[in-house]
Amino acid sequence: MIMSKRILIDPVTRIEGHAKISIFLDDEGNVSDAEFHVVEFRGFEKFCEGRPLGEMPGITPRICGICPVSHLLASAKAGDAILAVAVPPAADKLRRLMNLGQIVQSHALSFFHLSAPDFFLGWDTPVEKRNVFGIIGTNPEIARAGIRLRQFGQEVIEVLGGKKIHPAWAVPGGVRSALTKEGREKILAWLPEAFATTKVALDLFKKTLKGHERETQIFGNFPSLFMSLVADDGSWEHHGGKLRFVDSDGNVIADQIDPQNYAEFIGESVQKNSYLKSPYYKPFGVPDGMYRVGPLARLNVCERMGVPQADAELKHFKSFGHGAVTSSFLYHYARLIEILASIEFIERYMKDDELLSGHLRADAGINNLRGVGASEAPRGTLFHDYTVDPNGILKKVNLIIATGQNNLAMNRTVAQIAKHYVHGNEIPEPMLNRIEHGIRCYDPCLSCSTHAIGQMPLHIQLVAANGKIVNEKIRQ
Amino acid sequence: MNADETKILVIGYGNTLRRDDGVGVKIAEAVAAMDLPGVTVITRHQLAPELAVPISEADAVVFVDAEVKASEPIKLRMIKPAETVGRILAHAADPRSLLALAKEVFGRNPIAWTLGVPVEDFNFGDGFSSRAEKGFQDALKQIRGLIQNKFCETVANAG
Repeated sequence: MIMSKRILIDPVTRIEGHAKISIFLDDEGNVSDAEFHVVEFRGFEKFCEGRPLGEMPGITPRICGICPVSHLLASAKAGDAILAVAVPPAADKLRRLMNLGQIVQSHALSFFHLSAPDFFLGWDTPVEKRNVFGIIGTNPEIARAGIRLRQFGQEVIEVLGGKKIHPAWAVPGGVRSALTKEGREKILAWLPEAFATTKVALDLFKKTLKGHERETQIFGNFPSLFMSLVADDGSWEHHGGKLRFVDSDGNVIADQIDPQNYAEFIGESVQKNSYLKSPYYKPFGVPDGMYRVGPLARLNVCERMGVPQADAELKHFKSFGHGAVTSSFLYHYARLIEILASIEFIERYMKDDELLSGHLRADAGINNLRGVGASEAPRGTLFHDYTVDPNGILKKVNLIIATGQNNLAMNRTVAQIAKHYVHGNEIPEPMLNRIEHGIRCYDPCLSCSTHAIGQMPLHIQLVAANGKIVNEKIRQ
Repeated sequence: MNADETKILVIGYGNTLRRDDGVGVKIAEAVAAMDLPGVTVITRHQLAPELAVPISEADAVVFVDAEVKASEPIKLRMIKPAETVGRILAHAADPRSLLALAKEVFGRNPIAWTLGVPVEDFNFGDGFSSRAEKGFQDALKQIRGLIQNKFCETVANAG
């Protein structure tokens, strides 16, 4: 009988919600597998049952403090499908503008505050210094610029949705209000600084990459499928379009899938000891149907960004792969390219007077009893699947979140990193730092339904197969 | 510093769909409704790094949050910027780290308090438990008193 042991990392710092990582060892001390568990149950799907459809864009953004806009937009789109309406063109553009602001602010937080300290300060810098304050010490301008870039993204959202904590601005059929001329001036004033910050970050990251060949090789570098929305012409999409799957050779294996039919292509497996559902590409089953979503996937799926500066970066990005780019370490690079593209698209929208239009909403009754809304959240494709009764009361809700779709890939990433650093019963500090970063590449958002108060320690346990803890570390 | 020019920032945060967790937000909204001169109110689901910008522009800041272990009767606790940040700034930051960020990045260090409101119910839904409801009323009194009476003197003395 092979004696196995388990290393537990609980919780993972600098990601949303609470999670723990188990690393399974065989009796030779070699890593055999890894699991990333999510232990907090959100229960939002059940909570929403019995609510009127019209309330959903007001309720679902309250799931998450970091990506409320993503839930708002997916919810509104599910409502569009149930009403069976085409939203007015101005409303579609305005929703897109808000989503671009969301992508900028979320990616800026992920890159500058959560991930950059690791690769700019060094993997083995003590944890109390390996944070944004460490960045301030070595590169204060970058720290300041990162904060302001995120503030810019928030400003775009506030200009449209107002200062309410969770604006129910997008609604089934359209949006509630247009861009004002005053709002347009505010956004325009930010653009030069936003472009400049993004360019500096891109240059810095590309220089940094040269010293991180090992991380690029082992931080989630494996074949998988990739999925995202894509435009009809193969361009980058973040709000409309259809679904496309590509494999690690870059081959399109399924294309132009209507999100309404997602369930024909995506299955959901449930992992033991975790509330996080693990979706997979149904025709291939588990584990071959493992796919990744988010910035890396979107850039692998699309053929062009559709804006010049980001297109130039995309060309360079694609040179890191033979077909698709398979290293999850390059999520960071993909994030920066998406920030750049978002700013370019925002600039384009500032020249479009249609966003000032008053025709913003299509009205209709309940025309379909089921509707799916899909939108690209910063972390990946988000699905809201609603079933209603003829009065528009929710009978069933299924939310498929980006982090769940990356769950199988995160497990694989943890195992890959651990195999390089774990030999025997020791829990080496450098390994912990790298595994945490491996998870952070995906910028997971697990459950921020109740914000954390107090300490968030790092708890590591080495547990034998009989349940006995043979090694343990707690890092405050 | 002229008390009339004092810029006061009240930040209320929490999840308004998790019952008592949203009490900080509701208190901040009630403060906003008072329309007090010089007082700016921000509500958030959770604290995030960009708040360092408005914090750095304020003379004084009050963070209002739900807290299971809050003292009763509730009271304002003056806080200083974090000296060491063992808990790394995550998507959800904490008040002392934000003060430190404002100080280190933007060079401003406003006087600051936290106001922890006693709570007990984090289930899904709107509305508060009786404990949070009482805390809501007490917190408003505390903040009103701070802003209208002692607070300006405190800031003037500090400045």
